[in-house]
Amino acid sequence: MTRKNPISVPDGYFQDLQVRLSQIPSQEEAAPRGIRRLAPYVAYAASLLVLATVGNFIFRSAAAKEDNGWDYVSYLALSLDPDGLVELKEAEEPTEDDIRSFLLASNVSVEQLAMLDDEKTY
Amino acid sequence: MEELEQVFNGIVKQYSERLYWHVRRMVGSHEDADDLLQEIFLKIWTALPSFRGEAQLYTWVWRIATNETLNFLRKEKVRALLRFSSADEMAAQRVAADPYFNGTEAEREMAKAIARLPEKQRQVFIMRWWDELSYEEISAITGTSVGALKASYHIAQEKIKLNLSDAEVSK
Repeated sequence: MTRKNPISVPDGYFQDLQVRLSQIPSQEEAAPRGIRRLAPYVAYAASLLVLATVGNFIFRSAAAKEDNGWDYVSYLALSLDPDGLVELKEAEEPTEDDIRSFLLASNVSVEQLAMLDDEKTY
Repeated sequence: MEELEQVFNGIVKQYSERLYWHVRRMVGSHEDADDLLQEIFLKIWTALPSFRGEAQLYTWVWRIATNETLNFLRKEKVRALLRFSSADEMAAQRVAADPYFNGTEAEREMAKAIARLPEKQRQVFIMRWWDELSYEEISAITGTSVGALKASYHIAQEKIKLNLSDAEVSK
């Protein structure tokens, strides 16, 4: 086996390497290794927090938009159709005739209806 | 602090190039060697205040470098496992794809055969063959007896020869 170095490095690599390596003490003084090791985890946690905040904001604004949309549609429908509003109010308080026709439609006999009317009279 | 910086800069000046070649031959690529060297010198700087002078500075620096390199190779092994590949094969592939390899085809085959050696045999072989360290120096750095190192080197040599003859046959 012969010994001849077959590998090389980029031009000026060792000069650059020595400069970079001798900067380690000053870099460590500025930000100790522990902090630098924690930095990626802190960045990860911060990005998660930002993501959660933005997600929450988007979700909430979408939900609010949805609610407002329905409110707006129903309000619009009622305000455009004042009769509809009246009908809705009347439907909430059914008349005697409404009750009678409902009972007839529900297979209540005329006799039973008369009995109910009599009870009402007394 | 300034005194430590001076010692550290002395270590950088004296050992960075030599350690680079050792690490480069161990890991097989310039980029990995560059990253690893940064880690090694960071470790040297952090451990420098606790250096008591019981070992020679030279042995102490080399010990940190070889331990960090072995740690890197162990991590590589796990990465290789996750990719359903073998670390030795990945190291050989890195050698094959190295853009800073200027040697002949035979030299590339030899570098690949070295890369396929188990980590510790590779370490002993590279330290003896390429770094030209004596067995006594390697023993002080690795904490392995001279006899075990000689045996390891001999086995590594045989494996490389075998690998090279296999490569020759498969052509």
